[in-house]
Amino acid sequence: MLIRCHRQELAAALASAGMPDAGLVFVASDQPGGWAGVGEELAEAFRLTKEAAALPAPVVYVVSNDDLLGRRGPEQAMVACGLLSAARTAALELAKARVPVNTLAIESGTDPTVLAGWTRALLEPDAPTGELVRLGTGHLGKALP
Amino acid sequence: MRGAAIVTGAAGGIGKAICRRLGEDGFHVVAVDLVAELDSVVADLEADGLAATPVVADLISVDGRALVADSVAGTGLPLTALINNAGITRDARLVNLSEDDFAAVIEVNLAAPYELSRMLVPTMAAGSIVNISSRSYLGSFGQFNYAMSKGGLVGLTRALALQAAPAVRVNAVAPGLIATEMSMAIPEEQLSKMIGSIPLGRMGDPSEVADLVGFLCSEKSSYLTGEVIVIGGGRSLAQ
Repeated sequence: MLIRCHRQELAAALASAGMPDAGLVFVASDQPGGWAGVGEELAEAFRLTKEAAALPAPVVYVVSNDDLLGRRGPEQAMVACGLLSAARTAALELAKARVPVNTLAIESGTDPTVLAGWTRALLEPDAPTGELVRLGTGHLGKALP
Repeated sequence: MRGAAIVTGAAGGIGKAICRRLGEDGFHVVAVDLVAELDSVVADLEADGLAATPVVADLISVDGRALVADSVAGTGLPLTALINNAGITRDARLVNLSEDDFAAVIEVNLAAPYELSRMLVPTMAAGSIVNISSRSYLGSFGQFNYAMSKGGLVGLTRALALQAAPAVRVNAVAPGLIATEMSMAIPEEQLSKMIGSIPLGRMGDPSEVADLVGFLCSEKSSYLTGEVIVIGGGRSLAQ
């Protein structure tokens, strides 16, 4: 299992959650900076997802609910929404192999252990695929990404 | 004149139609593309009495974007519409997709509109931005790079809509299968199958996308911002 996460508290919870042996968890950076950072973030997601697809192994992208709605600025929004579309596409390509690819959206106050539990569930062979699971309540009554 | 309207990717099928729509709606069209065919696009518009300026520019470069800004200034009109339409495809299944093809699509389809918008939004006192995304942002087999870029463009649309309000409205249009040179190059059998999965039973015409863009640049859409409008003949619903 490869966990790409720059946030220490989330990385620790994900690492101790008993994940499957193979797979990718990609937690989007909170502050990609300008275009250079956005491009690097998307390129790293591409490289790691391509490696997972070659196995094939399940993938979960973790993004922010706020970023899916563009609330924290264009850079974060491009990464979050780009990853969501990429996950839907990878899910289509891995559907025949029955390998799930999903996106998990969190809020600033999401409990890391709750995030880890949902991540583990979305990596299971019988997990749904191509789905967006949004934790918390901030998305209620707002746009569907 | 309703101001200047920048249309990127102006020499392509959808771009040409958008230039004509906005020209007929009273904008001075600043038509931007990389290719020499741009001159004939502008000549056609001018032959019909529409105001247009051709700009051959590479939007990935700082110089190219500066040239576009200078061309708008040359019209003597305020910039009131920006249509980020330029886009490319480099399709392959994810496991076969090269780093170069990934990067090329992300640069043209996402970096260029981001940088162009970042440069121009502060100069807009009012108006509308329309980002031409794609129905592929919902997921599209063999288009990991393209779908990611078009999804990113949806994110850019939402964030800019919040940042630029209330002066400037920002929306995205997500076309499905449209009768352009690109789609006419699809093998006939495959094209028939694709059309068969569209409830309206046909490809869209570039003018239909252009009409939607014209609407989004008009006062008729004055309460719309931050939205993504899929124009795909119902394809997103059918199996």
